[in-house]
Amino acid sequence: MRNFFGKMKGRTQSPPRVDMSEVIWSWTGSFIGISAVGLIHFSLLDQTSLIMIIGSFGASAVLVYGVTRSPLSQPRNLIGGHIISAATGVTAYLIAGKIPWLAAALAVSSAIAIMHITKTLHPPGGATALIAVIGGDSIHNLGYLYVLMPAGLGALTLLVIALLVNNLAPKRRYPEFWL
Amino acid sequence: MLSDKSKKFTLIEISDEDVFEAMRSIQGYIDITPADFREVYKAAYGLAKMRFMQTLTAADIMTEGVHVLGENTSLYEAALFLAEKGITGAPVTDAQGKLSGVISEKDFMSCMGAEKRDSFMLIVARQLRDGKNLAENLNGRTVGDIMTAPAITISADTPVSRISSIMGEKNINRLPVLDSSGSLAGIVTRSDLISSFNMLGDGDA
Repeated sequence: MRNFFGKMKGRTQSPPRVDMSEVIWSWTGSFIGISAVGLIHFSLLDQTSLIMIIGSFGASAVLVYGVTRSPLSQPRNLIGGHIISAATGVTAYLIAGKIPWLAAALAVSSAIAIMHITKTLHPPGGATALIAVIGGDSIHNLGYLYVLMPAGLGALTLLVIALLVNNLAPKRRYPEFWL
Repeated sequence: MLSDKSKKFTLIEISDEDVFEAMRSIQGYIDITPADFREVYKAAYGLAKMRFMQTLTAADIMTEGVHVLGENTSLYEAALFLAEKGITGAPVTDAQGKLSGVISEKDFMSCMGAEKRDSFMLIVARQLRDGKNLAENLNGRTVGDIMTAPAITISADTPVSRISSIMGEKNINRLPVLDSSGSLAGIVTRSDLISSFNMLGDGDA
Protein backbone atom coordinates (compact mmCIF):
# COMPACT_ATOMS: atom_id res chain seq x y z
CA MET A 1 0.00 0.00 0.00
CA ARG A 2 2.73 2.40 0.99
CA ASN A 3 4.66 1.26 -2.06
CA PHE A 4 1.66 1.91 -4.28
CA PHE A 5 1.37 5.53 -3.19
CA GLY A 6 5.12 5.88 -2.94
CA LYS A 7 5.39 5.27 -6.68
CA MET A 8 3.23 8.33 -7.26
CA LYS A 9 5.92 10.61 -5.87
CA GLY A 10 8.15 10.15 -8.90
CA ARG A 11 11.84 9.40 -8.63
CA THR A 12 13.84 11.64 -10.91
CA GLN A 13 13.98 15.10 -12.40
CA SER A 14 12.57 16.27 -15.70
CA PRO A 15 14.95 16.24 -18.68
CA PRO A 16 16.70 19.50 -19.61
CA ARG A 17 15.19 22.16 -21.86
CA VAL A 18 16.52 22.15 -25.40
CA ASP A 19 18.34 25.19 -26.72
CA MET A 20 16.92 27.83 -29.02
CA SER A 21 18.20 26.40 -32.31
CA GLU A 22 16.33 23.20 -31.55
CA VAL A 23 13.16 25.19 -30.92
CA ILE A 24 13.55 27.04 -34.20
CA TRP A 25 14.14 23.88 -36.21
CA SER A 26 11.17 22.20 -34.56
CA TRP A 27 9.00 25.14 -35.50
CA THR A 28 10.30 25.28 -39.06
CA GLY A 29 9.91 21.56 -39.69
CA SER A 30 6.42 21.33 -38.31
CA PHE A 31 5.33 24.50 -40.09
CA ILE A 32 6.43 23.13 -43.45
CA GLY A 33 5.21 19.62 -42.68
CA ILE A 34 1.73 20.64 -41.66
CA SER A 35 1.55 23.13 -44.55
CA ALA A 36 2.21 20.29 -46.98
CA VAL A 37 -0.29 17.95 -45.34
CA GLY A 38 -2.83 20.79 -45.15
CA LEU A 39 -2.40 21.75 -48.80
CA ILE A 40 -2.89 18.19 -49.94
CA HIS A 41 -5.93 17.70 -47.76
CA PHE A 42 -7.63 21.03 -48.38
CA SER A 43 -7.08 21.15 -52.11
CA LEU A 44 -7.12 17.51 -53.14
CA LEU A 45 -9.59 16.00 -50.74
CA ASP A 46 -11.65 19.03 -49.88
CA GLN A 47 -14.08 17.19 -47.66
CA THR A 48 -14.80 18.57 -44.24
CA SER A 49 -14.73 15.36 -42.30
CA LEU A 50 -11.41 14.31 -43.79
CA ILE A 51 -9.93 17.36 -42.12
CA MET A 52 -10.25 15.57 -38.79
CA ILE A 53 -7.31 13.38 -39.66
CA ILE A 54 -5.17 16.51 -39.61
CA GLY A 55 -5.48 16.43 -35.82
CA SER A 56 -3.66 13.17 -35.86
CA PHE A 57 -0.89 14.60 -38.04
CA GLY A 58 -0.51 17.58 -35.71
CA ALA A 59 0.48 15.09 -33.05
CA SER A 60 2.87 13.36 -35.45
CA ALA A 61 4.48 16.71 -36.18
CA VAL A 62 5.40 17.11 -32.50
CA LEU A 63 7.30 13.85 -32.65
CA VAL A 64 8.82 13.97 -36.10
CA TYR A 65 9.98 17.62 -35.94
CA GLY A 66 10.27 18.12 -32.18
CA VAL A 67 11.76 14.84 -30.95
CA THR A 68 13.68 13.67 -34.00
CA ARG A 69 15.81 11.21 -32.00
CA SER A 70 12.95 9.40 -30.38
CA PRO A 71 12.23 5.82 -31.40
CA LEU A 72 8.58 6.90 -31.60
CA SER A 73 9.49 9.40 -34.34
CA GLN A 74 11.30 7.11 -36.74
CA PRO A 75 9.94 6.30 -40.23
CA ARG A 76 8.99 2.77 -39.24
CA ASN A 77 6.83 4.15 -36.43
CA LEU A 78 5.47 7.16 -38.33
CA ILE A 79 4.33 5.23 -41.40
CA GLY A 80 3.73 1.89 -39.69
CA GLY A 81 1.91 3.42 -36.72
CA HIS A 82 -0.58 5.35 -38.86
CA ILE A 83 -1.21 2.53 -41.33
CA ILE A 84 -1.64 -0.16 -38.68
CA SER A 85 -3.82 2.05 -36.50
CA ALA A 86 -5.95 3.09 -39.46
CA ALA A 87 -6.55 -0.54 -40.42
CA THR A 88 -7.30 -1.41 -36.80
CA GLY A 89 -9.73 1.51 -36.50
CA VAL A 90 -11.62 0.60 -39.66
CA THR A 91 -11.85 -3.01 -38.50
CA ALA A 92 -13.09 -1.98 -35.05
CA TYR A 93 -15.80 0.14 -36.69
CA LEU A 94 -16.88 -2.75 -38.92
CA ILE A 95 -17.09 -5.06 -35.91
CA ALA A 96 -18.65 -2.79 -33.30
CA GLY A 97 -19.81 0.32 -35.18
CA LYS A 98 -23.32 -0.04 -33.82
CA ILE A 99 -22.04 0.79 -30.33
CA PRO A 100 -19.88 3.88 -30.87
CA TRP A 101 -18.21 4.02 -27.45
CA LEU A 102 -17.22 0.35 -27.66
CA ALA A 103 -15.91 0.67 -31.21
CA ALA A 104 -13.89 3.71 -30.20
CA ALA A 105 -12.34 1.96 -27.19
CA LEU A 106 -11.68 -1.18 -29.17
CA ALA A 107 -10.03 0.82 -31.95
CA VAL A 108 -7.59 2.68 -29.71
CA SER A 109 -6.68 -0.17 -27.37
CA SER A 110 -6.17 -2.66 -30.18
CA ALA A 111 -4.16 -0.13 -32.17
CA ILE A 112 -1.83 0.33 -29.19
CA ALA A 113 -1.48 -3.42 -28.73
CA ILE A 114 -0.76 -4.11 -32.39
CA MET A 115 1.68 -1.20 -32.64
CA HIS A 116 3.51 -2.66 -29.65
CA ILE A 117 3.66 -6.10 -31.21
CA THR A 118 4.88 -4.78 -34.54
CA LYS A 119 7.35 -2.31 -32.97
CA THR A 120 5.63 0.60 -34.68
CA LEU A 121 4.40 2.46 -31.59
CA HIS A 122 3.49 6.01 -32.64
CA PRO A 123 1.19 7.92 -30.26
CA PRO A 124 -0.76 9.76 -32.99
CA GLY A 125 -1.78 6.31 -34.24
CA GLY A 126 -4.26 6.28 -31.37
CA ALA A 127 -5.96 9.32 -32.89
CA THR A 128 -5.90 7.79 -36.36
CA ALA A 129 -7.62 4.67 -35.05
CA LEU A 130 -10.17 6.73 -33.12
CA ILE A 131 -10.99 8.95 -36.12
CA ALA A 132 -11.75 5.84 -38.18
CA VAL A 133 -14.61 5.25 -35.75
CA ILE A 134 -15.84 8.75 -34.91
CA GLY A 135 -14.95 10.53 -38.16
CA GLY A 136 -18.45 10.40 -39.63
CA ASP A 137 -19.95 9.04 -42.82
CA SER A 138 -17.43 10.21 -45.37
CA ILE A 139 -14.67 8.39 -43.45
CA HIS A 140 -16.81 5.30 -42.94
CA ASN A 141 -17.56 5.31 -46.67
CA LEU A 142 -13.87 5.07 -47.50
CA GLY A 143 -13.67 1.63 -45.88
CA TYR A 144 -10.13 0.32 -45.95
CA LEU A 145 -9.09 3.01 -48.42
CA TYR A 146 -8.82 5.16 -45.25
CA VAL A 147 -5.61 3.25 -44.51
CA LEU A 148 -3.85 4.51 -47.64
CA MET A 149 -5.56 7.86 -47.96
CA PRO A 150 -5.68 10.03 -45.88
CA ALA A 151 -3.73 8.09 -43.22
CA GLY A 152 -0.84 6.67 -45.27
CA LEU A 153 -0.59 9.66 -47.58
CA GLY A 154 -0.39 12.17 -44.74
CA ALA A 155 2.25 10.17 -42.90
CA LEU A 156 4.30 9.88 -46.07
CA THR A 157 4.09 13.64 -46.64
CA LEU A 158 5.35 14.31 -43.11
CA LEU A 159 8.17 11.83 -43.66
CA VAL A 160 9.39 13.46 -46.87
CA ILE A 161 9.47 16.89 -45.22
CA ALA A 162 11.19 15.44 -42.16
CA LEU A 163 13.92 13.92 -44.30
CA LEU A 164 14.50 17.23 -46.03
CA VAL A 165 14.20 19.69 -43.15
CA ASN A 166 15.69 17.70 -40.27
CA ASN A 167 18.84 16.99 -42.25
CA LEU A 168 19.25 20.63 -43.21
CA ALA A 169 19.73 21.39 -39.51
CA PRO A 170 23.47 21.15 -38.81
CA LYS A 171 23.02 19.37 -35.47
CA ARG A 172 20.18 17.10 -36.41
CA ARG A 173 20.03 13.87 -38.32
CA TYR A 174 17.02 11.89 -39.41
CA PRO A 175 16.22 9.06 -39.29
CA GLU A 176 18.05 7.17 -36.58
CA PHE A 177 16.95 3.95 -38.27
CA TRP A 178 14.63 2.84 -41.06
CA LEU A 179 13.52 -0.62 -40.02
CA MET B 1 31.74 -14.39 -10.45
CA LEU B 2 34.45 -13.13 -8.11
CA SER B 3 35.09 -14.90 -4.84
CA ASP B 4 33.82 -13.25 -1.68
CA LYS B 5 37.35 -12.80 -0.46
CA SER B 6 38.26 -10.42 -3.23
CA LYS B 7 36.78 -6.97 -3.24
CA LYS B 8 33.82 -6.67 -5.54
CA PHE B 9 34.48 -4.29 -8.36
CA THR B 10 31.63 -1.81 -8.51
CA LEU B 11 31.08 0.56 -11.36
CA ILE B 12 31.20 4.26 -10.79
CA GLU B 13 27.75 5.37 -9.73
CA ILE B 14 26.50 8.10 -12.01
CA SER B 15 24.03 10.56 -10.58
CA ASP B 16 20.88 12.05 -12.05
CA GLU B 17 22.85 15.27 -12.16
CA ASP B 18 25.57 13.70 -14.33
CA VAL B 19 22.99 12.33 -16.72
CA PHE B 20 21.12 15.61 -16.78
CA GLU B 21 24.29 17.50 -17.71
CA ALA B 22 25.19 14.93 -20.34
CA MET B 23 21.73 15.15 -21.86
CA ARG B 24 22.00 18.89 -21.93
CA SER B 25 25.26 18.72 -23.85
CA ILE B 26 23.62 16.59 -26.52
CA GLN B 27 21.69 18.46 -29.16
CA GLY B 28 18.01 17.63 -29.42
CA TYR B 29 15.26 16.47 -27.10
CA ILE B 30 16.01 13.05 -25.66
CA ASP B 31 12.77 11.58 -24.48
CA ILE B 32 13.95 9.48 -21.59
CA THR B 33 14.31 10.46 -17.95
CA PRO B 34 17.68 10.53 -16.20
CA ALA B 35 16.50 7.61 -14.06
CA ASP B 36 15.75 5.54 -17.15
CA PHE B 37 19.16 6.24 -18.52
CA ARG B 38 20.81 5.23 -15.26
CA GLU B 39 18.95 1.95 -15.30
CA VAL B 40 19.99 1.19 -18.86
CA TYR B 41 23.56 2.25 -18.16
CA LYS B 42 23.83 -0.03 -15.17
CA ALA B 43 22.47 -3.04 -17.00
CA ALA B 44 24.54 -2.44 -20.11
CA TYR B 45 27.69 -1.90 -18.08
CA GLY B 46 27.10 -5.14 -16.26
CA LEU B 47 26.81 -7.02 -19.54
CA ALA B 48 29.88 -5.35 -20.98
CA LYS B 49 31.86 -6.22 -17.88
CA MET B 50 30.71 -9.80 -18.02
CA ARG B 51 31.73 -10.02 -21.67
CA PHE B 52 35.09 -8.46 -20.89
CA MET B 53 35.73 -10.84 -18.02
CA GLN B 54 34.78 -13.82 -20.14
CA THR B 55 36.51 -12.98 -23.38
CA LEU B 56 39.80 -11.66 -22.10
CA THR B 57 42.02 -14.65 -21.35
CA ALA B 58 45.43 -15.45 -19.97
CA ALA B 59 46.80 -15.47 -23.51
CA ASP B 60 45.76 -11.83 -23.92
CA ILE B 61 47.42 -10.48 -20.82
CA MET B 62 50.34 -12.81 -20.07
CA THR B 63 53.98 -11.93 -20.35
CA GLU B 64 55.81 -14.20 -22.77
CA GLY B 65 59.49 -15.00 -22.67
CA VAL B 66 59.42 -15.97 -19.01
CA HIS B 67 62.58 -15.92 -16.91
CA VAL B 68 62.89 -19.42 -15.49
CA LEU B 69 65.05 -20.81 -12.69
CA GLY B 70 66.36 -24.39 -12.45
CA GLU B 71 65.71 -26.53 -9.40
CA ASN B 72 69.38 -26.96 -8.79
CA THR B 73 70.29 -23.30 -8.88
CA SER B 74 71.71 -22.12 -5.58
CA LEU B 75 69.68 -19.57 -3.68
CA TYR B 76 72.52 -17.09 -3.98
CA GLU B 77 72.43 -17.40 -7.76
CA ALA B 78 68.67 -17.28 -7.78
CA ALA B 79 68.53 -14.13 -5.67
CA LEU B 80 71.10 -12.48 -7.90
CA PHE B 81 69.15 -13.50 -10.99
CA LEU B 82 65.81 -12.18 -9.69
CA ALA B 83 67.42 -8.90 -8.63
CA GLU B 84 69.07 -8.50 -12.00
CA LYS B 85 65.84 -9.07 -13.90
CA GLY B 86 63.91 -6.84 -11.54
CA ILE B 87 61.34 -9.51 -10.74
CA THR B 88 60.13 -10.90 -7.44
CA GLY B 89 59.61 -14.49 -8.47
CA ALA B 90 59.88 -17.01 -11.27
CA PRO B 91 58.70 -20.44 -12.37
CA VAL B 92 61.07 -23.31 -11.62
CA THR B 93 61.87 -26.18 -13.98
CA ASP B 94 63.37 -29.59 -13.28
CA ALA B 95 66.28 -31.20 -15.10
CA GLN B 96 64.00 -32.23 -17.98
CA GLY B 97 62.85 -28.66 -18.36
CA LYS B 98 59.38 -29.44 -17.01
CA LEU B 99 57.69 -26.93 -14.73
CA SER B 100 57.98 -28.17 -11.17
CA GLY B 101 57.22 -25.19 -8.96
CA VAL B 102 57.33 -21.45 -8.42
CA ILE B 103 59.75 -19.48 -6.28
CA SER B 104 59.18 -15.99 -4.97
CA GLU B 105 60.31 -13.56 -2.29
CA LYS B 106 57.81 -15.15 0.04
CA ASP B 107 59.68 -18.46 -0.10
CA PHE B 108 62.93 -16.71 0.72
CA MET B 109 61.28 -14.88 3.58
CA SER B 110 59.75 -17.97 5.12
CA CYS B 111 63.14 -19.64 4.90
CA MET B 112 64.55 -16.69 6.85
CA GLY B 113 62.18 -17.43 9.69
CA ALA B 114 59.13 -15.47 8.64
CA GLU B 115 55.83 -17.14 9.39
CA LYS B 116 53.11 -17.13 6.81
CA ARG B 117 51.99 -13.56 6.16
CA ASP B 118 54.91 -12.04 8.10
CA SER B 119 56.39 -9.11 6.38
CA PHE B 120 59.90 -8.26 5.30
CA MET B 121 59.96 -5.61 8.01
CA LEU B 122 59.55 -8.26 10.68
CA ILE B 123 62.62 -10.00 9.35
CA VAL B 124 64.53 -6.73 9.48
CA ALA B 125 63.39 -6.14 13.06
CA ARG B 126 64.43 -9.61 14.17
CA GLN B 127 67.75 -9.38 12.45
CA LEU B 128 68.43 -6.13 14.30
CA ARG B 129 67.17 -7.46 17.61
CA ASP B 130 68.95 -10.80 17.61
CA GLY B 131 71.92 -9.72 15.58
CA LYS B 132 71.87 -13.15 14.04
CA ASN B 133 72.28 -13.43 10.32
CA LEU B 134 68.93 -14.68 9.12
CA ALA B 135 70.10 -15.12 5.57
CA GLU B 136 72.36 -17.86 7.01
CA ASN B 137 69.49 -20.30 6.53
CA LEU B 138 69.67 -19.80 2.79
CA ASN B 139 73.25 -20.92 2.58
CA GLY B 140 73.96 -24.03 0.57
CA ARG B 141 70.35 -24.56 -0.36
CA THR B 142 68.85 -24.65 -3.82
CA VAL B 143 65.75 -23.30 -5.45
CA GLY B 144 64.21 -26.77 -5.36
CA ASP B 145 64.54 -26.86 -1.58
CA ILE B 146 62.40 -23.85 -0.82
CA MET B 147 60.13 -23.40 -3.85
CA THR B 148 56.39 -23.76 -3.68
CA ALA B 149 55.47 -27.00 -5.39
CA PRO B 150 53.56 -28.17 -7.25
CA ALA B 151 53.01 -25.00 -9.20
CA ILE B 152 49.46 -23.72 -9.55
CA THR B 153 49.09 -23.14 -13.27
CA ILE B 154 46.47 -21.91 -15.71
CA SER B 155 45.91 -22.57 -19.38
CA ALA B 156 46.11 -19.97 -22.13
CA ASP B 157 42.31 -19.77 -22.40
CA THR B 158 41.60 -19.19 -18.71
CA PRO B 159 39.40 -16.06 -18.49
CA VAL B 160 40.57 -13.04 -16.54
CA SER B 161 37.75 -13.44 -14.04
CA ARG B 162 39.02 -16.90 -13.12
CA ILE B 163 42.61 -15.70 -12.86
CA SER B 164 41.71 -12.99 -10.38
CA SER B 165 39.75 -15.39 -8.21
CA ILE B 166 42.61 -17.92 -8.18
CA MET B 167 45.10 -15.25 -7.16
CA GLY B 168 42.72 -14.03 -4.49
CA GLU B 169 41.94 -17.46 -3.06
CA LYS B 170 45.49 -18.82 -3.07
CA ASN B 171 47.02 -15.48 -2.17
CA ILE B 172 49.65 -15.70 -4.89
CA ASN B 173 51.10 -13.11 -7.23
CA ARG B 174 51.99 -15.06 -10.34
CA LEU B 175 50.55 -17.90 -12.35
CA PRO B 176 52.54 -19.79 -14.98
CA VAL B 177 50.53 -20.30 -18.18
CA LEU B 178 50.74 -23.69 -19.88
CA ASP B 179 49.90 -24.21 -23.54
CA SER B 180 47.92 -27.20 -24.80
CA SER B 181 51.02 -29.41 -24.86
CA GLY B 182 51.74 -28.62 -21.24
CA SER B 183 54.84 -26.51 -21.75
CA LEU B 184 55.35 -23.06 -20.32
CA ALA B 185 53.86 -20.40 -22.61
CA GLY B 186 54.06 -17.38 -20.35
CA ILE B 187 53.25 -15.98 -16.97
CA VAL B 188 50.46 -13.79 -15.61
CA THR B 189 51.39 -11.60 -12.67
CA ARG B 190 49.20 -9.46 -10.49
CA SER B 191 50.36 -6.39 -12.38
CA ASP B 192 49.35 -7.95 -15.72
CA LEU B 193 45.95 -8.46 -14.18
CA ILE B 194 45.79 -4.88 -12.95
CA SER B 195 46.73 -3.55 -16.37
CA SER B 196 43.91 -5.52 -17.90
CA PHE B 197 41.45 -3.90 -15.49
CA ASN B 198 42.58 -0.48 -16.64
CA MET B 199 40.43 -1.01 -19.70
CA LEU B 200 37.40 -1.35 -17.46
CA GLY B 201 37.70 2.08 -15.96
CA ASP B 202 38.04 3.86 -19.26
CA GLY B 203 34.92 5.80 -20.05
CA ASP B 204 35.89 6.88 -23.55
CA ALA B 205 35.95 3.55 -25.27
